[in-house]
Amino acid sequence: MVNYIKEATNKLARKYEVEDKSELNLLPGWQFLDKKLTNNDIPLLSWRYNRKFIELKKIVAQEVVEDVSMLRFCSLGDPGIWSLNSLMYRELDLCEFLTGSKIVSLHATLSSNLAGNIIVKMESGVIGSIEIGIQVPSGKPLIERHEIIARRGVASDIVVDTQVPQNSIYTYTQKGDFGYKDTDNELFGMDEFQVEWARSSFELLKSPGQSEQLIKQHNHLSRLVKSALESNSNKLKVKVV
Amino acid sequence: MKPIKIAILSLTHGHTRKYYQTLNDNPGFDWVAVSAESEKVRDVFYQHGYDIPCYMSDKEMLDKHPDIEAVVMASANNRHIEQFRLCAERGIHILSMKVPTFDMDEYDEMISLVEESGIVCQVELEMHYNPVVNRMKKLFSEDELGVISGINATNITLSPVWAFPWQGVPEASYGKRIPLNAGNKRFRGGALCDHPHIFDMIRWLTNSEFDYIFAEVGPNIRVDIEVEDILLVNGKMKNGVSFLFDPSWSRLEERLEVPGPGWEVFPKRMEVNFNISGEKGVMLADCFGPNVYHNGAPNDRYTVQYTYFDEWIGMMDEFIHRVRENEPPMINLQWHKKTIEAMNACYESIQTGQPVYL
Repeated sequence: MVNYIKEATNKLARKYEVEDKSELNLLPGWQFLDKKLTNNDIPLLSWRYNRKFIELKKIVAQEVVEDVSMLRFCSLGDPGIWSLNSLMYRELDLCEFLTGSKIVSLHATLSSNLAGNIIVKMESGVIGSIEIGIQVPSGKPLIERHEIIARRGVASDIVVDTQVPQNSIYTYTQKGDFGYKDTDNELFGMDEFQVEWARSSFELLKSPGQSEQLIKQHNHLSRLVKSALESNSNKLKVKVV
Repeated sequence: MKPIKIAILSLTHGHTRKYYQTLNDNPGFDWVAVSAESEKVRDVFYQHGYDIPCYMSDKEMLDKHPDIEAVVMASANNRHIEQFRLCAERGIHILSMKVPTFDMDEYDEMISLVEESGIVCQVELEMHYNPVVNRMKKLFSEDELGVISGINATNITLSPVWAFPWQGVPEASYGKRIPLNAGNKRFRGGALCDHPHIFDMIRWLTNSEFDYIFAEVGPNIRVDIEVEDILLVNGKMKNGVSFLFDPSWSRLEERLEVPGPGWEVFPKRMEVNFNISGEKGVMLADCFGPNVYHNGAPNDRYTVQYTYFDEWIGMMDEFIHRVRENEPPMINLQWHKKTIEAMNACYESIQTGQPVYL
């Protein structure tokens, strides 16, 4: 997988005449949870390069929805790919990315490292719920929802009156039922998560100066995940320093 | 590879603004200049903030920049032939809009101009570079559905006539003022002229040509325009595949002079969808979905905010390659001629009330 992403990143770097630095270890940040970073490790916030989150961020930043009050996030994944901690890392970052505000406190209830529910409060006063779980059968796509509720308007990555993320193509054939979602023609053949990983790697190559900020945010998110675990153990709301 | 020195002509086509980022970002291009058809169009261009000189005539621009190698011909359909002549005379490669012309004599002249001058001419049918279409094509090539029997395709949008008025003027859009049929106060040049993609896609996906085609117009949902906005098309391909197309402007719009947020009244301003039946099963495809959604500013209406619009990147990558290798593009004038003939057949069918054989 890592080589596949490197190849795609290298393809973009060649096309757009950006220097490729193959010595860098560019992985989604949650893969570095509980590990000491070495010089070449760069924890990427790859989901921030997913087009749906870019557009949701724009909707908030450009005040298409105004005065956000609450977030309702859900992320239920395949345990072969996700852990509760990795989902927490991603969703906690999305809370901050989409609102442009930092989490100042949280209260988490987690069940046997399989499922959990977290309430967060942002510096801006916005509150948010995060539902996470890793009991989706193997091979099934991540079931997620990111809804932003504001005084003026609601924004979401789920279409109204549906419960699950949609695909671009559905086939119902003698082989069974399948869905396909291709989001990037330049990186055709990669799934949504591979695309965001390759895109975020490429952006890092384009702007290497962002690595310091990425490491800072990684440390912050690692603390948030720890805080959630503490909150669950102690059955208390935790303030994040 | 040496970047291609490129310019945009006219800036009046609805797709014009889609090129700005690609010409700006792609190192294969050196974006040299643009020409505008009016001061109003020029001022809108300047609002985008690109530091590119804008001229008020094509000829002036080309005279001042004799190094221009290629143009994006972003003009009304009735301006294309003169611009083709101008470019062919100067050996300038052309990225043509999706309708080069509906006049088949002009069309043949364009083919001759390209062949005789040795320039590269690629037609802007960007759906070929859409990732969902790419997946459909792959599934077709893997014979996922077996022998295809039926295709239903939509290319339905809001109407661009308020922002791009030439699209509502029969002479500018269709090239002539021809009533839709006897006693009809409307003329050729509306929604059909704006939506060639599904006519093109079915040929590409089925590897077959049109056998016969039938079209029917409905009452306009915009009563104050003089071209058609609601129509349906059906027929058969030569390999027996039955098809149904909806190329209407069936989504209402706010009458904005410059496209922007709040343009749509119906939440999704544009869709290209396919339902395809084959011996092994069915496929449903939405080439512009899924997306994200909101009901915020400016109109507090439920709105689809699109997430995937990268067709222009792949299309322009191909254009660079074809120009530098001096090869005919995948979507060239010859390939596209049968699509334009099929669209003309729709108008003929509307006029006669019967299917038209091609």
